[in-house]
Amino acid sequence: MAAKKRMNKGWKIDLEESLRIAMSALRANKARGVLTTLGIVIGIVAVILTMTAANGLQSTFRQSFSAVGSDVIYVSRFPWVMRDDFFVYRNRPRLDMRSAIDLERRLRGRAIVNPTLGGRQDLKFRSEIMEGISIVGTTEKQTIVASAQPEFGRFITEFDVTYKKNVCVIGTEVRDALFGTANPLNQEIKVGRVDFRVIGVMEKQGGSFMGGPNFDRQVFVPISTYVKVFGGERNRDVNLAVKAPSQEALSDVEFTVVGEMRKIRQLRPSEPDNFSINKLDTLVGTFNNVMGVVLLVGLLITSVSLFVGGVGVMNVMFVSVTERTREIGIRKAIGAKPHSIMFQFLFEAAAIGLVGGLAGIAIASVLTAVINALVMPASVSVGILVTAVVVSIAVGVVAGFVPAWKGARLNPIDALRYE
Amino acid sequence: MDRSSDNLPAAGDTALSLRDVYKTYVVGTDEVHALRGVSLDIRRNEYVAIMGPSGSGKSTLMNVIGCLDVPTSGTYSLEGQMVANLDEYELADIRNQQIGFVFQTFNLIPRANIFHNVELPLIYAGVPRSQRRERVERAIERVGLANRVKHKPNELSGGQRQRVAIARALVGEPSIILADEPTGNLDSKTGDEIMTLLDELHRAGQTIILVTHEDYIAEHAHRVIRLKDGVIESDAPTAGRAV
Repeated sequence: MAAKKRMNKGWKIDLEESLRIAMSALRANKARGVLTTLGIVIGIVAVILTMTAANGLQSTFRQSFSAVGSDVIYVSRFPWVMRDDFFVYRNRPRLDMRSAIDLERRLRGRAIVNPTLGGRQDLKFRSEIMEGISIVGTTEKQTIVASAQPEFGRFITEFDVTYKKNVCVIGTEVRDALFGTANPLNQEIKVGRVDFRVIGVMEKQGGSFMGGPNFDRQVFVPISTYVKVFGGERNRDVNLAVKAPSQEALSDVEFTVVGEMRKIRQLRPSEPDNFSINKLDTLVGTFNNVMGVVLLVGLLITSVSLFVGGVGVMNVMFVSVTERTREIGIRKAIGAKPHSIMFQFLFEAAAIGLVGGLAGIAIASVLTAVINALVMPASVSVGILVTAVVVSIAVGVVAGFVPAWKGARLNPIDALRYE
Repeated sequence: MDRSSDNLPAAGDTALSLRDVYKTYVVGTDEVHALRGVSLDIRRNEYVAIMGPSGSGKSTLMNVIGCLDVPTSGTYSLEGQMVANLDEYELADIRNQQIGFVFQTFNLIPRANIFHNVELPLIYAGVPRSQRRERVERAIERVGLANRVKHKPNELSGGQRQRVAIARALVGEPSIILADEPTGNLDSKTGDEIMTLLDELHRAGQTIILVTHEDYIAEHAHRVIRLKDGVIESDAPTAGRAV
């Protein structure tokens, strides 16, 4: 306590001096300092790359699910992320067109409801064949509910739905596979065994994320045509997309949808919902959990390399303290207090850490640029840089603590006599 | 501890005062009695030489006087302040403000230039930068090295280095200058120059304690204290060249 009080007097001047000594010590031992930082450099590179990779995955994820829309909830029989036994969901009644129309009527003026039906079919155009492509029966409201718009041609209209037209709008990967660079508009392709006329091509939506749905690899057809050609909703579930007027209104809309669905299903208050409400948040939450684990494992591995770097710094700091035993004696004889000596060595250790950290940042920035160009979108954020700097300094300080303490505790008489 | 404190002379003109000072070291299982009941008073502006063969305890006495070490028993007061029982931080403050060390081996910081070496005691005393500059320059001027301020210690001769050490001892305006064999590493001509400088400081009012085993160095002092086996063998005034 008393020591702390005495420390306050002129502590700023003390720190200044400590910093000055640390810098001159580093200048005097450049080669040694550089070699010592190597461990920290590797550690910091690993930390930055782990965090950058995590960020990159996250933005890829967001991009590929942007089609889902953050102001839309989906009513379906199954949840996107199953938490209970599959049989609980399997025993639920199917969602059919009737209840879809019922819900739409009940929500009229409050939200837009778009029913979809889906299945997999083979596509064929002349000699080109694509197998097991997702066919989505939908309505003209698809482009209101989801953000993706046709890039060429047009989307399905109310007219197409009413008159069960054999028309389709294809994703960019489907176009590339079937038509290459040729113009697909007004060409007839076979979906299953039936001919459909291509009326539009959707804009690119970013492909699949880690085996998830690929919105560029699907074909839209009018939902009425889908029922007519591939069989009705008797053995397929209708999915309902409900778009809220705004993102803020989403939770109100969700509440209303649950209420109206329970009325449609005639559920008693004690019965649980026999349908699922899905939204982007559910996916994001699950993704974040997975990312958390990935990040944790990555950081664990990188912390091992930082630990090794720290041990290197500690080793050099012990050498530095021993080398300067006499200097410590001189400083103590003319009035340096233990904490002044301590700061001197802590600054030196922190500076070694910082140099390593900065070198690590430089190398990691180059590697990130390479990854960005070749593997996936990646960029180093300010947050990551700040983390790297803080971590590298912290490693230095922690590693320098014991050597600095040793120096600070030296008896001035013995230290002065040291040769 | 305080039993003899009422015997101490009034602090008025006394720089330091030791009473029954014992210092015992434990080396392995043996006890080494370095000091065995040393009592002495040194007045302000006194010029004292402490002499004795090696093993006589003069280094230990110097360490105690310089507050690098505390006595095992007995009392030591410096400028009226009791030094026994002080902790490491308080001792550091006393060394910083009351004592100026001059060592046989100069003990300058090799990487720091002359200015910075002399500045160090003021830095540890917490003197702001604006006041340090003038005081450092004055001290360096006093030892006649004003044109060497930017040099590093290894660019100077032995005599010049010792002058820097003296400037460093002076800069904090200490009560006593404690010179441990200040000429031990110098040739006799340079040694004489250093002694002349110390004599000048004494004439200007500085209290100086000199530890030496050379009679011709001790002759500069007013008073010679001879130690043997940890006790004072003799304590007498000298003809004193400096008188």
